[in-house]
Amino acid sequence: MPACCQQPPLRVLPKAPLTVALAGNPNSGKTTIFNALTGLRQKVANYPGVTVEKKSGRCRLPDGRFVEIVDLPGAYSLVSQSPDERVTMEVLRGLRAETPAPDVIVIVVDASNLQRNLYLLSQVIELGKPVVLALNMIDVARRRGMDLSAEKLQQELGVAVVSIIGHKRRGIAELKEAIVHAKKPVVPDWLANSRHLHQADSDPMRTDIESRYHWIEQVTARSRGDGQAQNAGSSPSLSERVDAILIHKIWGLLIFAVVMSLLFVTIFWLAQPIMQWIQDGVQWTGGRVAAHLPRGPMRDLATDGVIAGVGAVVAFVPQIALLFIFLAILEDSGYLARAAFLMDRLLRRVGLHGKSFIPLLSSFACAIPGIMATRTIENRKDRLATILIAPFMGCSARLPVYTLLIGTFFAARGAGVQSGIMLAVYAAGVLAAAGTAWCFRRTLLKGSTDAFIMELPTYKLPQVSEIARQVWVNTSEFLTKAGTVIFCMSVLLWALTYYGASQKYLGHLEASGAPANVVAAERMNHSLAGQFGHFIEPGLRPLGFDWKMGVGLVSAFAAREVFVSTMGIVYSTGDVEDGHGADLSKAMLADRYPDGRRVWNGPVAVSLLVWFVLAMQCMSTLAVVRRETGGWGWPIFMLIYMNALAYVVCLFIFQVSRWVG
Amino acid sequence: MADCNQCLLRDTFWLNQLAVGGQGTVAWVGGETNVRRRLLEMGFCNGTCVEMLRRAPLGDPIEFRLRGYCVSLRDEQARHIRVMTA
Repeated sequence: MPACCQQPPLRVLPKAPLTVALAGNPNSGKTTIFNALTGLRQKVANYPGVTVEKKSGRCRLPDGRFVEIVDLPGAYSLVSQSPDERVTMEVLRGLRAETPAPDVIVIVVDASNLQRNLYLLSQVIELGKPVVLALNMIDVARRRGMDLSAEKLQQELGVAVVSIIGHKRRGIAELKEAIVHAKKPVVPDWLANSRHLHQADSDPMRTDIESRYHWIEQVTARSRGDGQAQNAGSSPSLSERVDAILIHKIWGLLIFAVVMSLLFVTIFWLAQPIMQWIQDGVQWTGGRVAAHLPRGPMRDLATDGVIAGVGAVVAFVPQIALLFIFLAILEDSGYLARAAFLMDRLLRRVGLHGKSFIPLLSSFACAIPGIMATRTIENRKDRLATILIAPFMGCSARLPVYTLLIGTFFAARGAGVQSGIMLAVYAAGVLAAAGTAWCFRRTLLKGSTDAFIMELPTYKLPQVSEIARQVWVNTSEFLTKAGTVIFCMSVLLWALTYYGASQKYLGHLEASGAPANVVAAERMNHSLAGQFGHFIEPGLRPLGFDWKMGVGLVSAFAAREVFVSTMGIVYSTGDVEDGHGADLSKAMLADRYPDGRRVWNGPVAVSLLVWFVLAMQCMSTLAVVRRETGGWGWPIFMLIYMNALAYVVCLFIFQVSRWVG
Repeated sequence: MADCNQCLLRDTFWLNQLAVGGQGTVAWVGGETNVRRRLLEMGFCNGTCVEMLRRAPLGDPIEFRLRGYCVSLRDEQARHIRVMTA
């Protein structure tokens, strides 16, 4: 092709692909700039060995080169010990094998909070890598009366400075240009000499930090523009005036209560119809598939196993998406830190953090979004403690079980007693959570609650595109990472309740004209789960449970409300949702052991209620905990400690109530 | 190190003793190494002016302003910092 040979190639890759690291304080607007640079070409992964998110993306520079941009976790310093900060330090120093050492470091600073943001820069210029300073939120700084000249700042720092208004995408082209021409900074003399100066010092840490701030004060003082020099933050900013209301003694708590009620109503009620549509859709698909397949185990595997398994995963999406819309708005606006500020006193009593409030509240709807919401808690121990107790919060899947048991065994006592019991059941969950959190913080997760040094960032208007992006990233990540595990476990659980009974026997039953619900009951009773129920019955007896409840508990691992439908199958009373609830209650009350004793009575019901409050029997929760903690260790621990606790408490309650009653 | 300064700090008080709207200049920062480093890194250096903005409705934590930004500390952390009246 002659045309090609005459022209020089349009673009040659001049060097190995560049890596640009984006670092900055939390709340510096780093992510907005990352998104502006990379657009949709982003990858979200995890740094191996730690539960810190790794975000990277590609960006085309003005000189035609493509660079890999790594958005590092927010850090105040390269010395401190939070997992986020450690990852940032290791990447910047090129110590992480999976992330190439950056060729250029872009430090994003909040211009309206310049001094503390420049502290990180004072450490980064020591690394000897080319540095660009992205002076973000310059508009906010100007509005707050700060007089700052980017040119003077560039002179003083010896680092290229680019003014940026991230949310308006202003200054991004200039930033790309600056990355191309980035140079190694000249390390200031005081910094170069500081090492041996500090050796003689009795308090080198303080001297080091204070000399950095001293330098920063000088730099910022000399970087004022030509206008009237103003003392930064001398007049109360808009943010502080908003704070006067939002964290006011009365109004603050009132507004907090309203916001949290809204959050709760959204994921508890608003998600319900959407989940119903999904369920209907799954059932419809199952029906369509079933129509095209011959009857038999293969068809059941396709519809009740695989399609229902997909449904089990997708059913979480409305709650997760709605929660993350809420969380993104709260976090981006700056209210999340205020909510933590308001609630910290309450939660600290049991060793938790103010930021544990929203995850725990969300867990009343479902522990899955609740546990995902713990990502907003920076301190690892606070976060783990919150994850470990979140399943005690009475999730909505327990409600059908509570309703069945209370409705069946306390119907004669009137509505007042019934609602009282319901309330007590929820309170028991909260108490259990508080108690175990208190214990964990004193034993297993002992250590610094001292890390509560929380910035209250200035309020910002959340960006719709940012919210959409966060919702998309978190939901799709749930589907791919936790969803696959939930799917596999749900198919496995289905198989346990399906296989085991002899096909010959079931075929014989069907041929003899037995009704479908009797066949289903026999299938369940002789299934692997049914056999397992018989096997564990001796262990469950002291709690008042028989093998049928054992089967119910095994099947409830798919989701707690499945207990009710399993009971419906075992007692062959038909689907509770189709109005057979009263039949099931009657069948349960009529059920007797061979020696004539009732299988179900008040103490059994109370024991089972307590079991549902305390026990860990939700495989989706375990899958999400594995995802959030980065391994099977914590979910297995959770499974053991919660079920051991449930066993001991139920044993105590049942035995005592038998002696008393 | 820091303890020998104690005698010079007679006219100082703990940061959590500041009244709402009160200001003080940091004179000494103590506490366990990691907490102390974090406090210093967040800008609580000697000579820094700190203003107490408000306490949370339940009495704790406390919101402070320094270096043009706001930070909240629990009472126990504020007790690691001694300030002089500005």
